[in-house]
Amino acid sequence: MAAPPEPGEPEERKLLGFLDVENTPCARHSILYGSLGSVVAGFGHFLFTSRIRRSCDVGVGGFILVTLGCWFHCRYNYAKQRIQERIAREEIKKKILYEGTHLDPERKHNGSSSN
Amino acid sequence: MAHAAQVGLQDATSPIMEELITFHDHALMVIFLICFLVLYALFLTLTTKLTNTNISDAQEMETVWTILPAIILVLIALPSLRILYMTDEVNDPSLTIKSIGHQWYWTYEYTDYGGLIFNSYMLPPLFLEPGDLRLLDVDNRVVLPIETPIRMMITSQDVLHSWAVPTLGLKTDAIPGRLNQTTFTATRPGVYYGQCSEICGANHSFMPIVLELIPLKIFEMGPVFTL
Repeated sequence: MAAPPEPGEPEERKLLGFLDVENTPCARHSILYGSLGSVVAGFGHFLFTSRIRRSCDVGVGGFILVTLGCWFHCRYNYAKQRIQERIAREEIKKKILYEGTHLDPERKHNGSSSN
Repeated sequence: MAHAAQVGLQDATSPIMEELITFHDHALMVIFLICFLVLYALFLTLTTKLTNTNISDAQEMETVWTILPAIILVLIALPSLRILYMTDEVNDPSLTIKSIGHQWYWTYEYTDYGGLIFNSYMLPPLFLEPGDLRLLDVDNRVVLPIETPIRMMITSQDVLHSWAVPTLGLKTDAIPGRLNQTTFTATRPGVYYGQCSEICGANHSFMPIVLELIPLKIFEMGPVFTL
């Protein structure tokens, strides 16, 4: 987000002029699923009722709900993944630092499992 | 640092800034959906053939458009308050630096381990070396260790200033007669820039802040103290 786009990197694409879907995690995924949900909901409603205006309303409502739902789901998983990455990074650092000493996390783990 | 015509936030160099960027993404998505809904409503209003000048009751619609914004505001407020309280946590800093604003330069004091005090002036354009950044580089940078909680005590000797480093998510006012505190932990080494963020006179735009964040092992060897 901060550096100017390098050649080869995706260009900034901003929906409504401000939502950067390329560089915001989960944004592109949520918008695409929202669009799909909107088309399915709107078209499905039209097939059952043949009401164009109301089907458009259902489509817009479907877009908002599906986008929000995907967004929260994806961001929750992204946050979990970041926490796991941070824990893994800390463990790797500890492993490198303490390998072969009495503080070696692997030695502690093997010791407790053999007991 | 920011690149030309940058509108978005800079990459995060502290956990707080990462949280702020996450919250910013969340708020922006909510704003986008609200804008989309409003644009759709505007489109419908402009293209309808229906007219009714006798509408008097619309209880259900009024209930919906009162409750729904309240829910949206709660959805935005909860993460916002979480980060607000997170920024106020003080987690046993290892190092305390004092930053004093003057017209128009900063003074930094490293008094924990010795009495190092120095001024930090912007490099005038005539004194820039090739590769230096105009209006951002300074003669003496603030050298600090990474992955270490650091406390900044900020004040001013004359008028209001503000000590800001966007990549760390920091902005604290320097107020004469008052000592403000902010803490941060940098996660990656590098050189990071900020600018005075409170109007303080003619050269308000020409008193930047430059942090040089280095690994703790190298910081302990004392490059700061060989000034």
